[in-house]
Amino acid sequence: MGTREVISTGNELSAIAAVDAGCMFFGGYPLTPSSEIMHVISDLLPAKGGTAIQMEDEIAGICTVIGAAMSGKRALTATSGPGMSLKAENLGLAQMAEVPLVCVNVMRGGPSTGLPTRVSQGDIKQASNPSHGDYRSITLCAGNLEECYTETVRAFNLADRFMQPVIVLLDETIGHMHGKAMIPTIEEVEAGIVPRKTFDGPADEYHPYECEATEPAVLNPMFEGYRYHYTGLHHDKNGFPTEEIETCRKLIQRLEDKVMAHQDELELNEEFMCDDLTGEEGEVLIIAYGSVSLAAKEAIRHLRDDGIKAGLFRPITIWPSPAKKIKEMTDKIKNVLVVELNIRQYTDEIERASGRLDLEGLYKVNGRAISPYEIVNKVKEVF
Amino acid sequence: MARTIMRFTGVGGQGVLLAGEIFAAAKIKAGGYGLKTATYTSQVRGGPTVVDITLDDDEIYYPYANEGEVNFMLSVANVSYQSFKSGVKPGGTIVIEPNLVTASDEDRATWNIVEIPIITIAKEEVGNVITQSVVALAIANTYMHAVDKQLLLDTMLSKVPAKVHDINLKAYDLGEKYANEAMAEA
Repeated sequence: MGTREVISTGNELSAIAAVDAGCMFFGGYPLTPSSEIMHVISDLLPAKGGTAIQMEDEIAGICTVIGAAMSGKRALTATSGPGMSLKAENLGLAQMAEVPLVCVNVMRGGPSTGLPTRVSQGDIKQASNPSHGDYRSITLCAGNLEECYTETVRAFNLADRFMQPVIVLLDETIGHMHGKAMIPTIEEVEAGIVPRKTFDGPADEYHPYECEATEPAVLNPMFEGYRYHYTGLHHDKNGFPTEEIETCRKLIQRLEDKVMAHQDELELNEEFMCDDLTGEEGEVLIIAYGSVSLAAKEAIRHLRDDGIKAGLFRPITIWPSPAKKIKEMTDKIKNVLVVELNIRQYTDEIERASGRLDLEGLYKVNGRAISPYEIVNKVKEVF
Repeated sequence: MARTIMRFTGVGGQGVLLAGEIFAAAKIKAGGYGLKTATYTSQVRGGPTVVDITLDDDEIYYPYANEGEVNFMLSVANVSYQSFKSGVKPGGTIVIEPNLVTASDEDRATWNIVEIPIITIAKEEVGNVITQSVVALAIANTYMHAVDKQLLLDTMLSKVPAKVHDINLKAYDLGEKYANEAMAEA
């Protein structure tokens, strides 16, 4: 597998990844701590014949991205929590109309304006359902510099595969930290691109939303001779509004099933120093994601130096959650500590998946990172 | 090499970020690992800024300095000095700009406080205040021997426009000279 060494920040890597993955359009509004994504891609896209546009606000940003995606282009928007709140309605439109796009959210302290320059993981629950209604969010969460690149690439491929928005979560720490990343070569990224499906039969036989119960719609790019209708209303096989009972039920059920029937294509986790965890008494499983996992890894080094067998389970695909894997790990290991830069936002999901209510938690919501020593001390205190 | 943690503090707009990036990049080019993080406030200019630089031969996960583990700190603003000095290991070196930062007697008993007029050097001897980050870079590396000097200079030159190479090399030489003089006096 070809790799290259780059020295960069998470935000810059995310922007470079988008361009390498074939993104040809960026629309957005700069918002701390995500702004560098827009700055970098504004330099890169025009040189490739693409377009980057700063709109009047975050809402207009995602609207232009939906338009570009309808025209068949890979398209990106990037923002932070307050921008996600503004984009929510149109993320719902893209779910309903099945428009593939990538939305990077570099998380900062919230709610509302919150702590603009400080780190947080407060948007975990929001990412699972940013808009009203039933659909399944696909959300990827980068836990190091490399993944700011690889998860952005993966997001574009998943968006085209599942025909829906894919959210990539970074956080202020990961977005702004500057260091070494070993990332795939452009050739390798290009070789991994699977273009979205298109219909090439006679135009009068094209019904974009008439598809298998567990598959996404097949939407040809606009203006290429195939006519259909885009709407946020419940719609029929050609995209026109309908209230026909079975059509409505099947449509929404399909939005759920197209994702949940293919979780094997989505799930991605890291197990760090878990190989020798056998379920013996005294072993500790830490569950963390995003930048917090960096502190957890450092903490595990210290804990093992002190004779405590600890390992980290880190979901990279946050939504849908790796529920079966969480159940398997938490069935085996009794002492489980969940560490998050929010108050229990993912712990609730881990409790659901594990069926356990005795998980320990370490949470922080003051805009500061959790340090390795705080994790070490918590482990020693509670287990 | 054991882990080296350096902290540059100032206020927004002084350019302390660049020095951190240069250190991290030089260490990576030398085959090791380097991480730079910056913490700042919502205030665009004038807010306290802290840059942590972690250098190691082994992989670094957590990018921030742990309290009490910073080996070397440099500060060009009093508000930042007061906020972030507690991160420095007792006995560690703190270089301050004496025209802008005030260290108490207690501070001087806890740390090796070194006074070098970084901003005055940049403004009056180099001739451009922007070069203060390179003066700081030279002082830090002279104290810490964190990375090979030539590699650090090459990395620095790769990050600044060619037309200002000479002035930045001059800034580095002056920083090194003042640091060596301060060490000789101690």
